[in-house]
Amino acid sequence: MAEQPSQEYINVSYTMGRPYRWAAGKYLSKLYKEMRDHKKLVANRCPKCREFLWPPEMVCGRCKVRAGDKWVELSDKGTVVQYTYMVFPLWDPHKGERVAEEHPYATILLDDGMYVVSRLEERDKGKLKVGMRVQAVWKEEGRGHGLDEDILYFRTIEQ
Amino acid sequence: MAGKVEESERFVFNGKIDIPNKYSAGTVGSQFLIELRDNKKIIGIKCPICSQVYVPPRSTCKYCFGKLSDLVKVSNKGTLLTYAVAYQPSPIQPVEPPIAYGIVQLDGANTGFVHMLGEVDPAKLKVGMRVKAVFKVKKERVASVKDIKYFKPLR
Repeated sequence: MAEQPSQEYINVSYTMGRPYRWAAGKYLSKLYKEMRDHKKLVANRCPKCREFLWPPEMVCGRCKVRAGDKWVELSDKGTVVQYTYMVFPLWDPHKGERVAEEHPYATILLDDGMYVVSRLEERDKGKLKVGMRVQAVWKEEGRGHGLDEDILYFRTIEQ
Repeated sequence: MAGKVEESERFVFNGKIDIPNKYSAGTVGSQFLIELRDNKKIIGIKCPICSQVYVPPRSTCKYCFGKLSDLVKVSNKGTLLTYAVAYQPSPIQPVEPPIAYGIVQLDGANTGFVHMLGEVDPAKLKVGMRVKAVFKVKKERVASVKDIKYFKPLR
């Protein structure tokens, strides 16, 4: 027979709220707004070296010159360069909720040469492959909240 | 696609990180909280060597490092040792501001006990004033230190 506990033990539970505000700034906000309102990915580019700045930035990191407001629309197709299958429900710091469902999560190289990290539609682990071609599926109503919010997931496409 | 970004189009996001925590109150800590919940009594613990009475109770004497087990009842009344008033609202505060925090030495104890002060104008608080614990009603008491609502001045 199991030993009876000698007394009642109390667990003290509490939740610490860590409120913070985060400003996306002028250039990142432009990307988020285009994603939310027009379902487009945009980047600006350095006037000197002509490199795309991704995510959009104020100053080119190599040339140290102002990037300016010349915006270019990017392709929303790309190639999976690495992926993982998320099982553990991580906290979403923007929503204060856990992402409960299992889903594949991938780094995708867009056709214009930028990397994005997003979910994949394909949930069959056997069909997940490095090098598979994918295209963004946009949410009907974006909230202007970054990649996780406005892109639902990336769908496998034939080339 | 060219065009300037207007001031109003800048995004500011509100983070919503909540960190859930849980810890065990331990053997004597649990007895202290259970006593608050069940009997509206505040208990301390007495060191048999140096006669210190700790409120809330702890399992080791901080002076002679002896193991403590001699739980004693202390009074619900005490003397205000010091206080501070918080006016800034913050999600980590247990109630809405202004909050008067006080350190109360209960009659029969040698240590100060931190809690809130209520039913008093913050401007009229005085070090050395006599205060008394006010408990929540039975069904609201959940074996937490907040089972004591606050300490109010004795008149």
